Amino acid sequence: MTHSLHRRGSPESLRDDYVLLATAAAGVNHEGSKDKLRRVLEIVYEEEPANVGSYETGTIYAGVSMEDIKASLAEVPRVRCCFSSREKMKRVLQRVKEMDLGISITVSGLIDEVLEMARELGIKPHSINLSLDIWGKKEELPSEEVLEFVTMCGHGLISKDLVEKCIADVRSGKRTPRQAAELIARPCVCGIFNPDRAENLLARYAPPGQEGEQ
Amino acid sequence: MFIDQEKCSGCGICLPYCPAGAIKLVGKKAVVDRELCLECGNCGRKQVVRCPKDAFVEEPGLYEGVRAVRKFFSDPATTHKVTRIPGRGTEEVKTNDVTGRVRRGEIGLALEMGRPCLGTSMQEVQRVTMALAAHGVVFEENNPLTHLMSDRKTGAISTEYLKEKVVSVIIEFTDRAERLPLLLETIRKVARELDTVFSLDLIACFEDDGSLPVLETLNQLGMKPRPNAKINLGIGRPPAPLYREGGPCR
Repeated sequence: MTHSLHRRGSPESLRDDYVLLATAAAGVNHEGSKDKLRRVLEIVYEEEPANVGSYETGTIYAGVSMEDIKASLAEVPRVRCCFSSREKMKRVLQRVKEMDLGISITVSGLIDEVLEMARELGIKPHSINLSLDIWGKKEELPSEEVLEFVTMCGHGLISKDLVEKCIADVRSGKRTPRQAAELIARPCVCGIFNPDRAENLLARYAPPGQEGEQ
Repeated sequence: MFIDQEKCSGCGICLPYCPAGAIKLVGKKAVVDRELCLECGNCGRKQVVRCPKDAFVEEPGLYEGVRAVRKFFSDPATTHKVTRIPGRGTEEVKTNDVTGRVRRGEIGLALEMGRPCLGTSMQEVQRVTMALAAHGVVFEENNPLTHLMSDRKTGAISTEYLKEKVVSVIIEFTDRAERLPLLLETIRKVARELDTVFSLDLIACFEDDGSLPVLETLNQLGMKPRPNAKINLGIGRPPAPLYREGGPCR
């Protein structure tokens, strides 16, 4: 489900956080689409994504190379990645549109920003998946601060315990925000966890003077 | 998943990675609580936990039998045999421009049971499917959950699966847009009885002028979607028809 529509946090913290999914449709246009998806991956890589991965291999933050990801595309191939820059995201979309591969593309992010980008590129969006929030026994959930991180994982693989440990490590100065962000990124197999956004969120917990340390 | 006790050094590096909190130190060794373990595979991925002793072992026969449900609904690296789609649901809006799963005049609803953080038992899932089925909901064929049902008309899940617990299950269906208020009221009622949480998705198509009629319906219900969403850009080929032949689906 990739869950990218359910990222938690303030609109400000969600700015400059875009998830790009390129997906061949099973039974419709998936046959013969691997090369098309490889071309999308090449464009994505040239534009320096914040993260990229695949169900088959894991992500660049788990030590996987772009060649591994390209080589292991599945029978129904897909590209999963995220960007921390509007300009980069827009360039990827422009290039993919110009190639006219016929592969479905979704972008997750602030609705107004994504629609504005589409308008600028002459793209008429087809449909939208809106988040109507969380329902049920919400009192059992961890704090919103923890949810901001765990909801960046597409498949619920980032545990609240790992996030809480990393926040504590940043608070104590044991890890920098960047180191903690990259550690939290490891369990996300598909590549939509954005370590740049996580680093910014973690900087709130860093001792004075260490907010931006690598 | 279990931990080879001969290999485990008891370093505890794996403990915080488990989304179900199923790994504990007992004495000087890490052990997996089989009942709590959702078989997501996180701990066994060599590039995630990086267990220095390579002590994690997948249970033999895991992909067969009732416990396989945990694997297929928790580990995104597995692909369900029927749908050929990795993960727990369909391609929902991701390929809607070519599949036409949800068309104009229709809405797609998805309840991702157990997300975030809490996980869900199949028993909790059944509470919701039965409440929705009472209103004639037709569950998505290309979703693995539908294939665990013993009776799609009542939303009943085969009894052997009811005690299984997973990271998440997605209840998905498409319906007529005019039924949205009724369906949301049904969902609101059943949500109060649940022992877990779910994230709620609403899929709708843009009109030619870029408007979304469903927003007016939500407004009338006093509901506002979150400011972020997933948007299908409509550049897939071949395009699916914008309207369903014979009118909106049920």
